[in-house]
Amino acid sequence: MQTSQLISRRTIEHTLLWAAVLLVTLIALYPFAWALITSFKPQRDALESSMIPFLQFKPIMDNWNAELGRTGEENIKALKNSAIIAIGATVIALTLGSTAGYALARFRFGIGNRNLVSWFLSQRFLPPVATLIPFFLLLQRFDLLDTYVGMIVVNATFVMPFAVLIMRDFFADIPKDLEEAALVDGASHLQVFLRVALPIAGPALVAAGIICFTFAWNEFLFASVLTVRDAQPFTVKIISTGTVRGIHFGFVSTRLLMAVVPPLVLSLFVQRYIVRGLTMGAVKG
Amino acid sequence: MKKRNRAGLFFLLPGVVWVLCFTLFPLLYSLGLSFTDKRIGRRPRPVQFIGFENYADIFSDNRVSEVLEMTVFIVLGSVLLTVVLGILVAWLFNHDIPGLRVFRAILTLPIFAAPIALGQLGMILFNEQSGPVNQMLRAIGAGTVYWITDPWSARFAVLIVDVWQWTPFVFIIVLAAMQSIPDELYEAARLDTSSAWTLFRKVTFPLILPAIGTVTMLRLVETFKILDIPYTLTGGGPGVSTQTYSYYIYLTGLRHFDMGYASALAYLLVVVAIIVSSIFFWRVRERYEVQ
Repeated sequence: MQTSQLISRRTIEHTLLWAAVLLVTLIALYPFAWALITSFKPQRDALESSMIPFLQFKPIMDNWNAELGRTGEENIKALKNSAIIAIGATVIALTLGSTAGYALARFRFGIGNRNLVSWFLSQRFLPPVATLIPFFLLLQRFDLLDTYVGMIVVNATFVMPFAVLIMRDFFADIPKDLEEAALVDGASHLQVFLRVALPIAGPALVAAGIICFTFAWNEFLFASVLTVRDAQPFTVKIISTGTVRGIHFGFVSTRLLMAVVPPLVLSLFVQRYIVRGLTMGAVKG
Repeated sequence: MKKRNRAGLFFLLPGVVWVLCFTLFPLLYSLGLSFTDKRIGRRPRPVQFIGFENYADIFSDNRVSEVLEMTVFIVLGSVLLTVVLGILVAWLFNHDIPGLRVFRAILTLPIFAAPIALGQLGMILFNEQSGPVNQMLRAIGAGTVYWITDPWSARFAVLIVDVWQWTPFVFIIVLAAMQSIPDELYEAARLDTSSAWTLFRKVTFPLILPAIGTVTMLRLVETFKILDIPYTLTGGGPGVSTQTYSYYIYLTGLRHFDMGYASALAYLLVVVAIIVSSIFFWRVRERYEVQ
């Protein structure tokens, strides 16, 4: 009698919990789902609240063809620019971040390692608008406005804290026995880093790389000021979707999906690192 | 020992030099600019040092008090809502149910979407004539809300999009903190009470408080920077009602090219960021020490 009561109470609790979980997931996914569906609708159907393809509306490829196909050359170029800038910035951030992270995990510095790490990470707290004007003037002075080099430098600076933090945490967590053995055998510190420490840091490098890539890919403010056409990334490109007849829902949806899909897919591979990475190591995930 | 330290410097220096060149130098540059009347215009003229004049101007600038209204609204509203909702959802996901991990990953998606694209998405979702939000509201008889043309509705539209994007961020961090609480603590507490609310209040909440403090500070500095979402969602309008402080600095410096004044405005924000980040790193820096 009592056990069956207990079981039914647990069942009700589980059902309620699942209902709440599904509701929350629906809220998180609905806007993306709406954009996805709208990207396959003709403009006149886009204004209706129909959600089920084939049954309520006839799905079409027009929007995707227009944005990616023959007329979409500019979009493709902007996507390519985004990729070049984000990959360039990620490579620099990983190079500097893994060496600095290694130094901060393995060596003791006079100023105090905790102060050095804080100093590296504090850059994340700065309002970007504060360095926007100096960057604009400097790039203008050196004739680097609207170039990949300028954009890569800016983005590498922004995303470096993630790389420093994730790599430092990784190196601090692995035992240093192997490295010390190699040092005793007469290897130099650089050899130990390149041949012993770095090869096992693969997963951390990938995670740091994905987080860096995502934030560089999503950057808008600096891109909108420092690029005009040649190096213009996709985040700047998507804001020009207005037409004379108002907003075309299908085009806007298609474009914003192209902007958000690459980072969303990549994010699924770094779940383990999100918490530490995004809290500057303050909370262990 | 000496040789060891030299090797450490060799690894550290490239990163240090990079930050000095591309963070510290620009910051000092803009501090310098904030004391000048630097301006880019058709007729070039010599830049003059004007002392604290820009800073004094901030206090008599009517626009500043206007944009501060929106900034305070979005900072307080977004931090409060994301933290409260994030804790609620984390509590929900802290139950031991198989299959929840997949949903957890789905919930984190909004964090990784470009804010500028979410502003675009918001612009069509909140479209006054045919956006789905107003269609739903009309379907339940709530009528049409003027999300873009009414000042306070527009502010709420920006708030909703920002809260939607950043609640997951609070959620995963608070969830991580909840999951690091040992089960024995709950088992011991269950001897005294069976109420879920009492368990949360007496066991969970005190133990996740440090994480909540951390996440609140991170959210605080992030919302002070908010610019992308209103940029595409409302364009700062109607009027200037959804212009944030960061947005105003951007317009002043890079649309009107009044760079000296914009730098002074930006420096006040830098001071706020330095204060918050000092508190943050003072609390967590022990974790950065080498063992």
